[in-house]
Amino acid sequence: MILAAVAALALAACGSSNKSSSSTTTATTAPSSSPTSSSTNGTVNMNIGNPSSSTTVTEAGSSLLYPYLQLLVSPLHSAYSNVTLAPAAGGSGKGISDTIAGTVNVGGSDAYLSNSEFAANPGLMNVPIAVSSQAVNYNLPGITNLKLTGNVLAEIYQGKITKWNDSAITALNPGVNLPDKTIVPVRRVDSSGDTFIFTSFLSATNATWSSGPAFGTTVTWPAVSSEVTASGNPGMVQTCHATPGCIAYIGISAESSALSAGLGEAELQNKAGNYVQPNQTTVESAVNAGATSLPSNLAAPLIYEPGAQSYPIVNFEYIIVKSSQPSSNLAMAIRTFLAFSISPTGGSAPAFLAKNQFVALPQSVVPLSESAIAKISG
Amino acid sequence: MTAVLDPHLIPLRSARRIQLSELTKRDRVVRGFLLVAAIIPTAALAFLAYQMLKSAYPAIVFNGWHFFTSKSFDLGNQYGSGVEVHDGYKAPAGAHYGILSLLFGTLVSSLIALLLAVPVSVAGAILLVEKLPRFLQSTLGVFLELLAGIPSVIYGLWGVYTLGPLFSRTVYKWIAALHIPWLRGPTGAGEGLLSASIVLAIMIIPIIASITRELVRGVPAISKEGAVALGLTPSETVRTVTLPYIRSGVIAAAILGWARALGETIAVLIISGNALGVYPKSIFDAFTTMAATIAALLDSALTDTTHMATAALAEVGLVLLAFTLITNFAGRLVARRFSDAGLPVGRGV
Repeated sequence: MILAAVAALALAACGSSNKSSSSTTTATTAPSSSPTSSSTNGTVNMNIGNPSSSTTVTEAGSSLLYPYLQLLVSPLHSAYSNVTLAPAAGGSGKGISDTIAGTVNVGGSDAYLSNSEFAANPGLMNVPIAVSSQAVNYNLPGITNLKLTGNVLAEIYQGKITKWNDSAITALNPGVNLPDKTIVPVRRVDSSGDTFIFTSFLSATNATWSSGPAFGTTVTWPAVSSEVTASGNPGMVQTCHATPGCIAYIGISAESSALSAGLGEAELQNKAGNYVQPNQTTVESAVNAGATSLPSNLAAPLIYEPGAQSYPIVNFEYIIVKSSQPSSNLAMAIRTFLAFSISPTGGSAPAFLAKNQFVALPQSVVPLSESAIAKISG
Repeated sequence: MTAVLDPHLIPLRSARRIQLSELTKRDRVVRGFLLVAAIIPTAALAFLAYQMLKSAYPAIVFNGWHFFTSKSFDLGNQYGSGVEVHDGYKAPAGAHYGILSLLFGTLVSSLIALLLAVPVSVAGAILLVEKLPRFLQSTLGVFLELLAGIPSVIYGLWGVYTLGPLFSRTVYKWIAALHIPWLRGPTGAGEGLLSASIVLAIMIIPIIASITRELVRGVPAISKEGAVALGLTPSETVRTVTLPYIRSGVIAAAILGWARALGETIAVLIISGNALGVYPKSIFDAFTTMAATIAALLDSALTDTTHMATAALAEVGLVLLAFTLITNFAGRLVARRFSDAGLPVGRGV
């Protein structure tokens, strides 16, 4: 019975037609095999299955990934009755540091590991399981589809642009009646993967930001007198909702609560010069452009990718895990959880991913994740 | 079986020596146990200080005196290449640790909190003891002590969701309209120095008020009766008799309240705005304190593979520990120095 399930999963993983590849976009490159790909038809044996005794896999980290993992607990447990996932939030930095310290079994992170973290922790891996994105939301009732660029955002967060009707913003939005209101930028106070990808975007589009705060899960934010802080994505939604004139960077899994709280979603300028919002098409365009050359440690940004339709703030959702686990049951449980989450019939089913506006890994990346999963042993 | 000694028959010093050797085994065991129990708090404090020093040592060497002369606190670029090296210790590229902005924020917020809390506590305590009917006294007294028991995170949440936004739209705008230097400028959305100081003040009022209440109760009735006999009005009695009598006790209580405000972490973390490395330009601006910075940056510091970030936070913690110990000692010194006998009647007339 279990062998049949494993075989079915392996077959599903190596299926040639894949709904998540770029069939609906117009100007993307076809995913070519990455120079580091170990297998292109997905026959990596990840050795998954139900562990011999009931095992709990504890997770902490990204608040962007958290809603997805929360939803995954139940189907995972139904498919594998001895695997229980116990997710928590707390920020991507916490996910990374807790996994390194061994406080939790796996960590969730929107940020990939740094070279020094890889060097200091041999055997530590970041395994991509899904593709997510980040929206820039604002609290200006009545104004929909505001156009912004990364450069303007960097200047807002540096305090150089302080009013909504500043010439830099009105130039991008002709015909929109912007109020003479102070911009209240909201930023994350916890060690956050959302901060990581947002500051990566600012670094890619503004030279002062790149040489100054640069990017990271925590950065030295320039002092802006009206700036406020919030904790976690739900906190960002809450704070922005309560503050007229605010602007905030909010992970896509919180998009529905942001929109129902009355916040607008900005259209960001991508590398090709077009203004796009995050949706299945624009995110897939970006990840397919970026996934053509991944390093062997899978630590890759998907920020400001080329492509007429590409959305500029896209990222892999990583699970941080050590390749050497203390027990074989735990290793089996972790491999099974990860394989389930990237399986098109499990956690990467399009309908399941769509509940949090995530997108499945491109076909070229799936074998790379599978090879990484296969390395986990105990 | 214990020998009975008459201390009047034996010189005192040898009496004590004889008494010790006459102790039963049970007495010795109990004495030993009590000795251990008495040593444990001191040992715990010494152990804590030693561990903090050990964790902070790399940062102490790396930073040198620049720690106390620099205001920017930068964890450096975790994703950059290259490291900074000073005196054999490594830190991420661009890392620079300086405590001045944290010290400033800690001191200013706690002092403003004191400025707001002491008059309110003293006035409240005097009112409670001298003016209110007895049945109200105990009820209101209970509520006052209750304030001390509310967890600090609730103060922080209440401050950032209710008090801050409400005040920033009303009271802060009125203050800013007066155009007093440092009290003007954009009033923000509720997070900032003034909001945090108000919340801290509310948190330390119970400490100061309950001590002051006992002090006011301890003012000798004869002094107050004398004042009434001389024809002083109630407010003059308070001013000339009660206040001078309780003054040093209030100073000691204020120092204890200040020690609490210095170490307050979660409430400040939620409502301060967490502006690292800058001095607030007005009372409505965001700032940060030593305790709040440690809490906010700890998870990021743990991702630093050179471990210099955690050492720097430990150094901040060491400075905070030193501060708290010094203020607590100072409070006790003041209390002890002025604790005997009331002041003469009529001082201050």
